[in-house]
Amino acid sequence: MNTRNRLRVGIFGAMTLALLSACAVTGVGVEGSVGYDGGYYEPSGYDYGGWGVGYRVGPSRCCEHRDDHHDHPVNRGHAGRAPAYHPAPAGRSAPSIPGRSRSH
Amino acid sequence: MSCAAAVAAADFELPALNSPPSGEHHAGKMVWADLVTPNLAAAEKFYGTLFGWTFQSTRAGNSDYAVAMLDGRPIAGMLEKAIPSGGRHQSAWLTFLAASDVDSVKKTALAHGAKLLAGDRSYPMRGQQCVLSDPEGAVFALLASSSGDPPDYLPVAGEWIWTSLHAKDAGAEAAFYQQLFSYDVFEAPSDDGLEHLILSSDNYARASANDLERDSAHRHSHWLNFVRVNSAVETAAKVRALGGRVLVEPRPDRQGGMLAVVADPAGAPFGLMEWSDSDSKEEPK
Repeated sequence: MNTRNRLRVGIFGAMTLALLSACAVTGVGVEGSVGYDGGYYEPSGYDYGGWGVGYRVGPSRCCEHRDDHHDHPVNRGHAGRAPAYHPAPAGRSAPSIPGRSRSH
Repeated sequence: MSCAAAVAAADFELPALNSPPSGEHHAGKMVWADLVTPNLAAAEKFYGTLFGWTFQSTRAGNSDYAVAMLDGRPIAGMLEKAIPSGGRHQSAWLTFLAASDVDSVKKTALAHGAKLLAGDRSYPMRGQQCVLSDPEGAVFALLASSSGDPPDYLPVAGEWIWTSLHAKDAGAEAAFYQQLFSYDVFEAPSDDGLEHLILSSDNYARASANDLERDSAHRHSHWLNFVRVNSAVETAAKVRALGGRVLVEPRPDRQGGMLAVVADPAGAPFGLMEWSDSDSKEEPK
Protein backbone atom coordinates (compact mmCIF):
# COMPACT_ATOMS: atom_id res chain seq x y z
CA MET A 1 0.00 0.00 0.00
CA ASN A 2 1.54 3.29 -0.98
CA THR A 3 1.53 6.40 1.17
CA ARG A 4 -1.47 7.95 -0.57
CA ASN A 5 -3.58 4.83 -0.04
CA ARG A 6 -2.48 4.59 3.59
CA LEU A 7 -3.57 8.19 4.04
CA ARG A 8 -6.95 7.47 2.45
CA VAL A 9 -7.50 4.43 4.68
CA GLY A 10 -6.49 6.47 7.71
CA ILE A 11 -8.89 9.30 6.87
CA PHE A 12 -11.72 6.87 6.20
CA GLY A 13 -11.05 5.09 9.51
CA ALA A 14 -10.98 8.36 11.41
CA MET A 15 -14.24 9.53 9.84
CA THR A 16 -15.92 6.21 10.67
CA LEU A 17 -14.71 6.42 14.25
CA ALA A 18 -15.93 9.99 14.54
CA LEU A 19 -19.37 9.04 13.22
CA LEU A 20 -19.66 6.12 15.62
CA SER A 21 -18.60 8.34 18.48
CA ALA A 22 -21.21 10.91 17.51
CA CYS A 23 -23.85 8.23 17.63
CA ALA A 24 -22.91 7.05 21.09
CA VAL A 25 -25.04 9.10 23.41
CA THR A 26 -23.47 9.86 26.73
CA GLY A 27 -24.87 8.74 30.06
CA VAL A 28 -27.03 5.69 30.42
CA GLY A 29 -28.55 6.12 27.03
CA VAL A 30 -29.43 4.17 24.00
CA GLU A 31 -26.71 3.75 21.46
CA GLY A 32 -27.32 5.23 18.09
CA SER A 33 -27.55 2.68 15.31
CA VAL A 34 -29.16 2.03 12.00
CA GLY A 35 -31.92 0.23 13.90
CA TYR A 36 -34.94 1.68 15.59
CA ASP A 37 -34.01 3.38 18.84
CA GLY A 38 -37.40 3.64 20.54
CA GLY A 39 -36.67 0.78 22.92
CA TYR A 40 -34.92 1.31 26.20
CA TYR A 41 -33.90 -1.26 28.81
CA GLU A 42 -34.43 -0.09 32.37
CA PRO A 43 -31.94 -0.97 35.08
CA SER A 44 -33.04 -4.09 36.90
CA GLY A 45 -33.10 -4.83 40.59
CA TYR A 46 -35.65 -2.17 41.47
CA ASP A 47 -39.01 -2.68 43.12
CA TYR A 48 -42.00 -1.55 41.08
CA GLY A 49 -44.53 -2.83 43.59
CA GLY A 50 -44.95 -2.59 47.32
CA TRP A 51 -47.35 0.32 47.20
CA GLY A 52 -48.65 1.25 50.61
CA VAL A 53 -52.28 1.63 51.59
CA GLY A 54 -53.66 4.86 50.18
CA TYR A 55 -51.08 5.14 47.41
CA ARG A 56 -53.37 6.32 44.61
CA VAL A 57 -52.13 7.13 41.16
CA GLY A 58 -55.16 7.14 38.86
CA PRO A 59 -57.25 10.01 37.56
CA SER A 60 -60.26 11.22 39.47
CA ARG A 61 -63.53 9.67 38.46
CA CYS A 62 -67.05 10.79 38.41
CA CYS A 63 -69.46 10.33 41.19
CA GLU A 64 -70.57 6.73 41.11
CA HIS A 65 -67.93 5.06 43.24
CA ARG A 66 -66.94 8.08 45.22
CA ASP A 67 -65.24 7.21 48.48
CA ASP A 68 -63.22 10.37 48.82
CA HIS A 69 -64.96 13.13 50.66
CA HIS A 70 -62.16 15.56 50.02
CA ASP A 71 -61.60 15.20 46.32
CA HIS A 72 -61.11 18.84 45.53
CA PRO A 73 -57.49 19.76 45.14
CA VAL A 74 -56.28 22.54 47.28
CA ASN A 75 -52.88 23.16 45.70
CA ARG A 76 -51.24 24.31 48.88
CA GLY A 77 -48.03 22.54 48.07
CA HIS A 78 -46.97 19.38 49.83
CA ALA A 79 -46.68 19.52 53.61
CA GLY A 80 -47.15 23.27 53.56
CA ARG A 81 -44.18 23.90 51.26
CA ALA A 82 -44.62 26.21 48.31
CA PRO A 83 -44.87 23.91 45.31
CA ALA A 84 -42.12 23.86 42.70
CA TYR A 85 -44.80 23.83 40.02
CA HIS A 86 -47.36 26.49 39.26
CA PRO A 87 -50.56 25.14 40.73
CA ALA A 88 -53.81 25.26 38.82
CA PRO A 89 -56.07 28.06 39.97
CA ALA A 90 -57.73 27.48 43.30
CA GLY A 91 -61.33 26.42 42.93
CA ARG A 92 -60.74 24.33 39.83
CA SER A 93 -61.01 20.63 40.42
CA ALA A 94 -58.81 18.16 38.59
CA PRO A 95 -60.37 17.05 35.32
CA SER A 96 -60.79 13.42 34.44
CA ILE A 97 -59.86 11.56 31.27
CA PRO A 98 -61.95 11.91 28.10
CA GLY A 99 -65.34 10.24 28.32
CA ARG A 100 -66.44 10.47 24.70
CA SER A 101 -66.49 7.12 22.92
CA ARG A 102 -65.38 6.70 19.32
CA SER A 103 -68.82 5.66 18.21
CA HIS A 104 -70.26 9.09 19.00
CA MET B 1 -22.79 15.64 10.70
CA SER B 2 -25.14 14.79 13.51
CA CYS B 3 -26.09 11.28 14.46
CA ALA B 4 -29.70 12.05 13.64
CA ALA B 5 -28.75 13.19 10.17
CA ALA B 6 -26.55 10.17 9.67
CA VAL B 7 -29.35 7.74 10.37
CA ALA B 8 -32.25 9.71 8.95
CA ALA B 9 -32.42 7.58 5.86
CA ALA B 10 -33.73 4.55 7.69
CA ASP B 11 -34.69 1.65 5.50
CA PHE B 12 -37.96 0.97 7.25
CA GLU B 13 -41.27 2.66 7.92
CA LEU B 14 -43.35 2.86 11.04
CA PRO B 15 -47.11 3.28 10.72
CA ALA B 16 -48.90 6.56 11.26
CA LEU B 17 -50.58 7.00 14.62
CA ASN B 18 -53.76 8.13 12.91
CA SER B 19 -55.27 7.18 9.62
CA PRO B 20 -56.70 9.43 8.36
CA PRO B 21 -54.70 12.20 10.05
CA SER B 22 -56.43 13.70 13.05
CA GLY B 23 -55.13 17.23 12.67
CA GLU B 24 -55.16 17.45 16.48
CA HIS B 25 -52.34 18.24 18.88
CA HIS B 26 -52.48 17.47 22.58
CA ALA B 27 -49.24 18.45 24.28
CA GLY B 28 -48.18 16.07 26.99
CA LYS B 29 -50.68 13.36 26.14
CA MET B 30 -49.38 9.79 26.15
CA VAL B 31 -49.73 8.81 22.52
CA TRP B 32 -47.56 5.72 22.11
CA ALA B 33 -45.52 3.13 23.97
CA ASP B 34 -42.67 0.92 22.81
CA LEU B 35 -41.70 -2.29 24.53
CA VAL B 36 -38.11 -3.45 24.36
CA THR B 37 -37.81 -7.17 24.86
CA PRO B 38 -35.27 -9.91 24.25
CA ASN B 39 -37.98 -12.24 22.90
CA LEU B 40 -40.47 -10.65 20.52
CA ALA B 41 -42.37 -13.85 19.79
CA ALA B 42 -42.96 -14.47 23.49
CA ALA B 43 -44.11 -10.89 23.99
CA GLU B 44 -46.55 -11.14 21.09
CA LYS B 45 -48.01 -14.32 22.53
CA PHE B 46 -48.37 -12.79 26.00
CA TYR B 47 -49.95 -9.48 25.00
CA GLY B 48 -51.99 -11.01 22.20
CA THR B 49 -53.57 -13.49 24.59
CA LEU B 50 -54.02 -10.94 27.36
CA PHE B 51 -55.51 -8.04 25.42
CA GLY B 52 -56.45 -9.41 22.01
CA TRP B 53 -53.74 -7.38 20.30
CA THR B 54 -52.70 -8.45 16.85
CA PHE B 55 -49.32 -7.67 15.33
CA GLN B 56 -47.78 -6.41 12.15
CA SER B 57 -44.11 -7.28 11.93
CA THR B 58 -41.44 -5.26 10.24
CA ARG B 59 -37.69 -5.31 10.09
CA ALA B 60 -36.63 -2.01 11.61
CA GLY B 61 -33.08 -1.60 10.42
CA ASN B 62 -31.13 -4.18 12.37
CA SER B 63 -34.01 -4.93 14.74
CA ASP B 64 -37.26 -6.86 14.58
CA TYR B 65 -40.21 -4.63 15.38
CA ALA B 66 -43.90 -5.43 15.70
CA VAL B 67 -46.76 -2.95 15.74
CA ALA B 68 -49.52 -3.98 18.12
CA MET B 69 -52.99 -3.35 16.72
CA LEU B 70 -56.40 -3.25 18.37
CA ASP B 71 -59.56 -2.84 16.32
CA GLY B 72 -57.40 -1.93 13.33
CA ARG B 73 -55.58 0.86 15.15
CA PRO B 74 -51.87 0.84 15.97
CA ILE B 75 -51.47 1.27 19.70
CA ALA B 76 -47.97 0.15 20.63
CA GLY B 77 -44.67 -1.07 19.30
CA MET B 78 -42.49 -3.97 20.37
CA LEU B 79 -38.81 -4.04 19.63
CA GLU B 80 -36.63 -7.11 19.93
CA LYS B 81 -33.23 -6.16 21.14
CA ALA B 82 -30.54 -8.10 22.94
CA ILE B 83 -30.16 -7.23 26.60
CA PRO B 84 -27.11 -4.96 26.87
CA SER B 85 -24.02 -6.62 28.21
CA GLY B 86 -22.65 -5.34 31.48
CA GLY B 87 -24.83 -4.09 34.27
CA ARG B 88 -28.29 -5.41 34.95
CA HIS B 89 -31.17 -4.52 32.70
CA GLN B 90 -34.77 -5.47 32.31
CA SER B 91 -37.42 -5.21 29.67
CA ALA B 92 -39.51 -2.03 29.83
CA TRP B 93 -42.22 0.02 28.19
CA LEU B 94 -41.12 3.43 26.96
CA THR B 95 -43.72 6.18 27.28
CA PHE B 96 -44.14 8.62 24.37
CA LEU B 97 -45.58 12.04 25.18
CA ALA B 98 -46.95 14.26 22.45
CA ALA B 99 -45.04 17.37 21.44
CA SER B 100 -45.83 19.52 18.45
CA ASP B 101 -42.18 20.58 18.15
CA VAL B 102 -39.74 17.95 19.38
CA ASP B 103 -36.67 20.11 18.98
CA SER B 104 -38.10 22.98 20.98
CA VAL B 105 -39.40 20.78 23.80
CA LYS B 106 -36.14 18.84 23.85
CA LYS B 107 -34.15 22.04 24.26
CA THR B 108 -36.40 23.10 27.13
CA ALA B 109 -35.97 19.70 28.73
CA LEU B 110 -32.19 19.81 28.43
CA ALA B 111 -32.13 23.30 29.88
CA HIS B 112 -34.02 22.01 32.91
CA GLY B 113 -31.86 19.02 33.76
CA ALA B 114 -32.88 16.31 31.31
CA LYS B 115 -30.37 14.13 29.45
CA LEU B 116 -30.62 13.13 25.83
CA LEU B 117 -30.56 9.36 25.40
CA ALA B 118 -31.41 9.13 21.71
CA GLY B 119 -31.36 12.15 19.44
CA ASP B 120 -34.05 13.33 17.06
CA ARG B 121 -35.02 10.86 14.42
CA SER B 122 -37.68 11.21 11.78
CA TYR B 123 -39.80 8.41 10.42
CA PRO B 124 -41.94 9.68 7.54
CA MET B 125 -45.23 8.12 8.62
CA ARG B 126 -44.67 8.19 12.38
CA GLY B 127 -43.09 11.59 12.85
CA GLN B 128 -40.13 12.97 14.77
CA GLN B 129 -39.09 11.59 18.11
CA CYS B 130 -36.30 11.56 20.67
CA VAL B 131 -35.65 9.80 23.96
CA LEU B 132 -34.76 11.65 27.16
CA SER B 133 -34.33 11.01 30.84
CA ASP B 134 -35.83 13.58 33.17
CA PRO B 135 -33.90 15.21 36.06
CA GLU B 136 -34.52 12.17 38.27
CA GLY B 137 -33.64 9.71 35.53
CA ALA B 138 -37.10 8.56 34.47
CA VAL B 139 -36.93 7.73 30.77
CA PHE B 140 -39.53 9.06 28.35
CA ALA B 141 -39.81 9.94 24.68
CA LEU B 142 -41.18 12.92 22.79
CA LEU B 143 -43.15 12.35 19.61
CA ALA B 144 -44.39 14.89 17.07
CA SER B 145 -46.75 12.68 15.15
CA SER B 146 -46.90 13.27 11.39
CA SER B 147 -50.58 12.40 11.43
CA GLY B 148 -51.52 14.44 14.49
CA ASP B 149 -52.26 13.12 17.94
CA PRO B 150 -54.99 10.58 18.65
CA PRO B 151 -58.27 12.36 19.37
CA ASP B 152 -59.48 12.56 22.95
CA TYR B 153 -61.72 9.54 23.15
CA LEU B 154 -62.26 7.18 26.04
CA PRO B 155 -59.98 4.22 25.30
CA VAL B 156 -61.62 0.83 24.89
CA ALA B 157 -60.54 -2.22 26.88
CA GLY B 158 -57.08 -3.24 25.72
CA GLU B 159 -55.92 0.32 24.98
CA TRP B 160 -53.64 2.55 27.03
CA ILE B 161 -55.76 4.63 29.35
CA TRP B 162 -53.34 6.30 31.77
CA THR B 163 -49.74 6.92 32.63
CA SER B 164 -48.20 7.72 35.99
CA LEU B 165 -44.81 9.06 36.95
CA HIS B 166 -43.20 7.78 40.13
CA ALA B 167 -40.43 9.98 41.44
CA LYS B 168 -38.52 10.89 44.55
CA ASP B 169 -39.89 14.45 44.39
CA ALA B 170 -43.17 14.49 42.51
CA GLY B 171 -43.52 18.25 42.90
CA ALA B 172 -40.14 19.01 41.32
CA GLU B 173 -40.84 16.54 38.53
CA ALA B 174 -44.25 18.07 37.92
CA ALA B 175 -42.56 21.45 37.61
CA PHE B 176 -40.16 20.00 35.05
CA TYR B 177 -42.90 18.50 32.90
CA GLN B 178 -44.97 21.64 33.28
CA GLN B 179 -42.13 23.53 31.60
CA LEU B 180 -42.34 21.11 28.69
CA PHE B 181 -46.06 20.77 28.18
CA SER B 182 -47.68 23.68 30.05
CA TYR B 183 -49.63 21.21 32.15
CA ASP B 184 -52.17 22.37 34.67
CA VAL B 185 -51.08 20.76 37.92
CA PHE B 186 -53.55 19.71 40.59
CA GLU B 187 -52.76 18.36 43.99
CA ALA B 188 -54.68 15.14 44.50
CA PRO B 189 -55.82 14.17 47.95
CA SER B 190 -54.09 11.22 49.54
CA ASP B 191 -54.07 9.34 52.79
CA ASP B 192 -50.47 8.21 52.68
CA GLY B 193 -48.65 11.46 53.37
CA LEU B 194 -47.04 11.38 49.94
CA GLU B 195 -47.48 13.91 47.17
CA HIS B 196 -49.77 12.89 44.32
CA LEU B 197 -50.41 15.32 41.48
CA ILE B 198 -52.63 15.27 38.42
CA LEU B 199 -51.16 16.75 35.22
CA SER B 200 -53.73 17.96 32.72
CA SER B 201 -53.93 19.67 29.35
CA ASP B 202 -56.91 20.64 27.21
CA ASN B 203 -58.90 20.18 30.42
CA TYR B 204 -58.25 16.45 30.46
CA ALA B 205 -56.15 14.56 32.94
CA ARG B 206 -53.08 13.26 31.09
CA ALA B 207 -50.91 11.75 33.80
CA SER B 208 -50.17 11.69 37.49
CA ALA B 209 -46.92 12.43 39.29
CA ASN B 210 -46.43 10.57 42.52
CA ASP B 211 -43.82 10.51 45.26
CA LEU B 212 -42.11 7.16 45.51
CA GLU B 213 -42.64 5.38 48.77
CA ARG B 214 -40.25 6.68 51.39
CA ASP B 215 -38.41 3.37 51.81
CA SER B 216 -37.19 3.89 48.31
CA ALA B 217 -33.67 2.46 48.36
CA HIS B 218 -34.75 -0.14 45.83
CA ARG B 219 -36.92 2.13 43.75
CA HIS B 220 -36.08 4.45 40.92
CA SER B 221 -38.01 7.10 39.06
CA HIS B 222 -40.03 5.75 36.17
CA TRP B 223 -43.13 6.12 34.08
CA LEU B 224 -45.79 3.41 34.31
CA ASN B 225 -48.46 2.95 31.65
CA PHE B 226 -51.90 1.47 32.28
CA VAL B 227 -54.13 -0.55 29.96
CA ARG B 228 -57.89 -0.34 30.37
CA VAL B 229 -59.37 -3.67 31.45
CA ASN B 230 -62.85 -4.84 32.35
CA SER B 231 -61.63 -6.66 35.44
CA ALA B 232 -58.30 -6.03 37.12
CA VAL B 233 -58.71 -9.19 39.20
CA GLU B 234 -59.36 -11.45 36.24
CA THR B 235 -56.67 -9.85 34.09
CA ALA B 236 -54.08 -10.10 36.88
CA ALA B 237 -54.90 -13.79 37.24
CA LYS B 238 -54.45 -14.19 33.51
CA VAL B 239 -51.07 -12.44 33.70
CA ARG B 240 -49.94 -15.04 36.26
CA ALA B 241 -51.25 -17.89 34.12
CA LEU B 242 -49.29 -16.55 31.14
CA GLY B 243 -46.02 -16.43 33.05
CA GLY B 244 -46.07 -12.82 34.23
CA ARG B 245 -46.04 -11.48 37.78
CA VAL B 246 -48.37 -9.33 39.83
CA LEU B 247 -46.42 -6.48 41.43
CA VAL B 248 -49.34 -4.65 43.02
CA GLU B 249 -52.39 -6.79 43.71
CA PRO B 250 -55.70 -5.44 42.39
CA ARG B 251 -56.81 -2.67 44.72
CA PRO B 252 -59.17 0.28 44.79
CA ASP B 253 -57.79 3.58 43.58
CA ARG B 254 -59.51 6.97 43.57
CA GLN B 255 -63.26 6.74 43.99
CA GLY B 256 -63.01 2.97 44.21
CA GLY B 257 -61.80 2.25 40.68
CA MET B 258 -59.68 -0.90 40.60
CA LEU B 259 -56.12 -1.08 39.34
CA ALA B 260 -53.15 -3.41 39.53
CA VAL B 261 -49.51 -3.40 38.47
CA VAL B 262 -48.10 -6.43 36.71
CA ALA B 263 -45.02 -7.46 34.78
CA ASP B 264 -44.83 -9.49 31.60
CA PRO B 265 -42.69 -12.66 31.48
CA ALA B 266 -39.62 -10.60 30.53
CA GLY B 267 -40.17 -8.33 33.53
CA ALA B 268 -41.60 -5.22 31.84
CA PRO B 269 -43.97 -3.54 34.31
CA PHE B 270 -47.30 -2.06 33.28
CA GLY B 271 -50.61 -1.27 34.92
CA LEU B 272 -54.16 -2.53 34.61
CA MET B 273 -56.98 -0.08 35.22
CA GLU B 274 -60.70 -0.62 35.30
CA TRP B 275 -62.82 2.20 33.98
CA SER B 276 -66.56 2.35 33.47
CA ASP B 277 -68.07 4.53 30.77
CA SER B 278 -69.63 6.70 33.46
CA ASP B 279 -66.36 7.24 35.37
CA SER B 280 -65.21 10.16 33.21
CA LYS B 281 -66.44 13.52 34.31
CA GLU B 282 -66.52 15.82 31.33
CA GLU B 283 -65.80 19.40 32.18
CA PRO B 284 -66.98 22.34 30.13
CA LYS B 285 -64.20 23.55 27.84
